[in-house]
Amino acid sequence: MRWWVAVAWIEDLIREGQKSVDELEVFYVEGTSVSADLKQKKINLATTSMDCGLGIRTIHNGRIGSSSTNDPGTWRDCLRAAIAGGKLATPQAWNGLPEPIVLPAAPLSFDPGLECDPGIARNLLRQMLDGAAEHPAEVTAGSASLSVSSVVLANSHGIRYEDHHTGVSLSLEAIHRQSTGYEFDHACYLEDLDPRNVGEKAAFFASRSADGKDIPTGDYPVVLSPLAYAELLGNVFVPALNGRSVHSGRSRLAQSLGRPVADPRIAMYDDPLLPRASGSTRWDAEGTPARRIDFVRDGVLQTFAYDLKTAYRYDKKTTGSAVRGGFGGLTAIGHHNFIVDGKRDTILDERVLYVHNVVGAHTANPMSGDYSVEISNAFWMEDGGFAEPVRSAMMSGNVFDMHRDIAGLSKESRAVGSLILPSVKLNNQHIIGK
Amino acid sequence: MPGVRYYDLRHVTGQVTHIDIDNGVVESAGTSFFNKAVLRVLDRNGWGIIQIDNYTPCNGRKFEDLIGEAQKLAGITEEVVELGDVPHGILPVPPMKEDPRSVGIEEKSSLLAGIEEAARHPLVTNRRANYVERIEQVRFEDSSANGYSYEMCRSGFNVMAVASRNGNVQMGYERDHTIHGFDLRHRQEYGKKAAEIAVALLDAGAVKGGKMHAVLDPELAGVFAHEAVGHASEGDLIQEGSSVLKGKTGKKIGSEILTIVDDPALCGFGFDPVDAEGTAVLRTEIIRRGVVNAFLHNRESLAAVGNGTAGHARAMPGEPPLVRMSNTFIENGDATEAEIFAECKNGIFLKGSRGGQVDPGRGIFQFNAEYGYLVENGECTKMIRDVSLSGEILSTLHRITLCGNDRKMSPGYCGKGGQSVPVSDGAPHVLLLDAVVGGSGLD
Repeated sequence: MRWWVAVAWIEDLIREGQKSVDELEVFYVEGTSVSADLKQKKINLATTSMDCGLGIRTIHNGRIGSSSTNDPGTWRDCLRAAIAGGKLATPQAWNGLPEPIVLPAAPLSFDPGLECDPGIARNLLRQMLDGAAEHPAEVTAGSASLSVSSVVLANSHGIRYEDHHTGVSLSLEAIHRQSTGYEFDHACYLEDLDPRNVGEKAAFFASRSADGKDIPTGDYPVVLSPLAYAELLGNVFVPALNGRSVHSGRSRLAQSLGRPVADPRIAMYDDPLLPRASGSTRWDAEGTPARRIDFVRDGVLQTFAYDLKTAYRYDKKTTGSAVRGGFGGLTAIGHHNFIVDGKRDTILDERVLYVHNVVGAHTANPMSGDYSVEISNAFWMEDGGFAEPVRSAMMSGNVFDMHRDIAGLSKESRAVGSLILPSVKLNNQHIIGK
Repeated sequence: MPGVRYYDLRHVTGQVTHIDIDNGVVESAGTSFFNKAVLRVLDRNGWGIIQIDNYTPCNGRKFEDLIGEAQKLAGITEEVVELGDVPHGILPVPPMKEDPRSVGIEEKSSLLAGIEEAARHPLVTNRRANYVERIEQVRFEDSSANGYSYEMCRSGFNVMAVASRNGNVQMGYERDHTIHGFDLRHRQEYGKKAAEIAVALLDAGAVKGGKMHAVLDPELAGVFAHEAVGHASEGDLIQEGSSVLKGKTGKKIGSEILTIVDDPALCGFGFDPVDAEGTAVLRTEIIRRGVVNAFLHNRESLAAVGNGTAGHARAMPGEPPLVRMSNTFIENGDATEAEIFAECKNGIFLKGSRGGQVDPGRGIFQFNAEYGYLVENGECTKMIRDVSLSGEILSTLHRITLCGNDRKMSPGYCGKGGQSVPVSDGAPHVLLLDAVVGGSGLD
């Protein structure tokens, strides 16, 4: 990839670091964003941000140190702090940072036409408001934001990679009496979003959920929307695939390699090379070329996710799963675009309880997988259409066991953050009425 | 600067030191640095806001250019934002018993390792301990010539133990975080307790969901106050119309014995010497003897809504301030713990929490207890795991029928609008009748 001449100081940093440590890695992010927020139907504030973050990682005799700053002018202090931290770290097996290879230069998630223009944010809000006007609900809040960022990764083995990302995100909240609706969407390309639809759906859920009826406690056929499913999957199942958690005894899936962990129709994989997806990249945060990782095939667990540090320690191969959290965050094992796939069906043909969202999924037990959450915007659905709304109930179970009981996947998928998911049908889901 | 009705600038610099020990291995340790500012300008209508990483204080032409840029942004706003009149002033930051900066990172690491080591047990498969120390230098100024600066240090640790047996995996999690200085010394009992709970949970049962009486310990009752009342009383949500407490000032929504307070001036983990808009911090009684008394406000929501006090604006470095809780608690009552259990008679006793969530517009909240015990004839019997409760704001508070006299605060973090701020929640032991309990147990 093309080397970005504007950050020549990174060359100085690497030369300086090499005087003290075996290897080092530099991660530098710069970005701008603009956003506008609604209070009810009027724009209340507009924001622009100028972000930058520098992360340095040093490796010396198997001791890994790191530091970060958002003031690149003070890179010398940051380098000293990384080296000092490394002296405290327990040494581990280490076989080197990656060597550079030639990768395609075209970014995967970059809209060259996207500009951080407050006027565009205002237009997006107006379109959402137009959509919301289709249903009798009051808009309470909303937001539209646009961002452009660039990422540079360099290491002492000669890697000089650069990538560019763009993002647009929208959200709208509405209320009708004591019934709320929330909808959002995000994409890398402006043209991939439908703001009117986001507004329409928020207002629809607020108005259509009003006057819900109670539901008796029992086991029901349930369809979880991609939002509700993402809450449970993202808080419990995905972290259990992290190789570090697995080898250090913090994953319930640790003993399940080669065994069924989900219904045979289910596939789970990370596809970092998916064009126009928000997590797409050609290299991970350590410079390992990113590739598809098949975690679950035909319901059977195939592999866990590794970065270099965990792979070297446990004699595994990195899966290119290193990520850095935010601006200047530490490296960790994560995913790029996590996808649940498999044979698709019509899952709304019989009478089912449709759960659009849940409240409190972050309180699920990440070790055991047990959860009990409040459901929101739940409806009885008949012949694929919304019938009567359900007022309030809890839903409880176990996220790991639930995957063995998945009885169908919807035809459509949706991106929820870095997860791309269908709706899932469960035949016997426990619901606690009030 | 023509047209500018108001501006303020909040600049925060600082450093974060962390240590992560996982099964005896120092995974990472070190210090990172940050420098962030946020400039807010009120022009003719609403806010124009600039968030700047790596800010260098400036004045004259350069500062005017920034103001001009914010004015341009404000040009797309439509709502006319007014700011309420507020008292200004800053409280002293409580002195630290021992400044963490005076302790070397090697010593910190070895003390943390002692806490992690204390979680050793034959059934514990993983022990993990983290130390975090965050020092912030905050500088605030506004166009009305108010200016403040202060330094705050928050530090603390978490220790987790994971126990497993025959595919059953359970965790115990203990923590302590404080504004009162270095707190890693003589804390091994936290590691030991995490291990004991993780191991005990291997034999705990799952509760059957449904309605039952519940005794909440001070930590969990604090989370209840935070989720069931605190968020719904935030003035920005009242202003937007997304809280069931809108228009409820003076209305009775809970039992006589219930008083719920948010107090940023209290020297707990959520303490602020001055709020993020330069407003003096004050104790706010949200619920007084069961009646909605006052909302939590920033200057904007105070002007728009009234019925409450400002001084509750808080922000992460470089982020625009939002209306937030700080130290939130249920006031002591006069019941003893024995009276509370006797009155509960048959039900559950719930302890600890991984947090909760609320939909304030719908008036529905959920919160979780890490573990608990069945209460049979006023006595704690079988241990139970992973219990969540849900409730409706406008009806549940009537069912708090006893409050103990043993209030205790617990530190934590609260998320809203993508920002996480330090808070503490607390309460005495309380009795909640007919709690809606979610559980996956069959009998």
